[in-house]
Amino acid sequence: MKGSVEQGETSKAPLSSGISKGVAILDVILRFVAFIGTLASAIAMGTTKQTLSFFTQFIQFKAQYSDLPTLMFFVVANSIVCAYLILSLPLSIVHIIRSRAKYSRLILIFFDAAMLALVTAGASAAAAIVYLAHKGNVRANWLAICQQFDSFCERISGSLIGSFVAMVLLLLLIILSAIALARR
Amino acid sequence: MSTSQEAATVVLDIGAAGKAPATTSVAAPAPAPAAPASSQPRKSPGTFFFRRKDHGSRCVALLDFLLRIAAFGPTLAAAIATGTSDETLSVFTQFFQFRARFDDFPAFLFFMVANAITAGYLVLSLPFSAAVVLRPQTTGLRLLLLVCDLIMVALLAAAASAAAAMVDLAHNGNLRANWVAICMQFHGFCQRTSGSVVGSFISVLILMLLVIFGAFAIRKR
Repeated sequence: MKGSVEQGETSKAPLSSGISKGVAILDVILRFVAFIGTLASAIAMGTTKQTLSFFTQFIQFKAQYSDLPTLMFFVVANSIVCAYLILSLPLSIVHIIRSRAKYSRLILIFFDAAMLALVTAGASAAAAIVYLAHKGNVRANWLAICQQFDSFCERISGSLIGSFVAMVLLLLLIILSAIALARR
Repeated sequence: MSTSQEAATVVLDIGAAGKAPATTSVAAPAPAPAAPASSQPRKSPGTFFFRRKDHGSRCVALLDFLLRIAAFGPTLAAAIATGTSDETLSVFTQFFQFRARFDDFPAFLFFMVANAITAGYLVLSLPFSAAVVLRPQTTGLRLLLLVCDLIMVALLAAAASAAAAMVDLAHNGNLRANWVAICMQFHGFCQRTSGSVVGSFISVLILMLLVIFGAFAIRKR
């Protein structure tokens, strides 16, 4: 009787520890992909510079990301999240080996939530400004600057993608960590 | 007293081997537990709710319920304040249109809709939170609330920061892009939307606290 009970317990244990290891490995992979996304966004936005060849009377003829404070915030926020993701990668790798860690997972969730809010704020504010640059605003008499600076516009629009991908991945990461906490 | 002790030892030694010792021991242990029960001190009336074996998860669930109510206020206020923002200038100038409303700016429209969605979600999740308070062991319900709270954090943070970008532009303008600061003319509209953005960010903070408390309470001991 006692021997069969023991056998039942040990036959369930490899499956659940396999799932935990799979979750932890997925965590590491998603973290790395989010790191690549934020790095690409920060670099793409940070290296924008366009100078128009002709001089017009009403519009300045040079555009960089630092002319718009919101895009500056976007670059800074993405750099912070990028640094955080690469620094938290060793902690995630430790979680593959030691599945029992409760409190380090809690700390990881706390910082992941803070970084999620930061990257969402940066990406969303930059998206609002990029939308304004494309369409302008009739009521406030704000002109759409994409008519003149088209390559600048393309650059800043494209760099939003990596940031939004990183936001979705961070969301998935927190959910994975919460599921891992609930199972252990 | 000595006979009850004797009867107790008889039950422990023989076990299920005989019915005769069991019938004599049924009557004996009945007075024995009554004696220690009356000698225990009375517990204070609050501890029937917060039991020690819950490990504080009921306390966290109650805090979760209260924070949900606290987050509902600023979100609803921000949605209503933005939705009723409408300012018409009395003077007609050459460069400005003389009316500003929230749906002239797509970012403010998104902000209002997201705040309304979050306010509705917070109200609808109150019964689930109350169910978690009454039964602190439900891990599935806690996980569901955590996931939905997380999605709401992302939505509300996105909406609040988009509106904050527009408000910053309305206050300061931008020299390079030749965008004029409209707050010079539309004072009331600007004040309303700035206040709504502040309230929305407070709600984001409270929702993040909800996520962290939820993750703390969900851990298996």
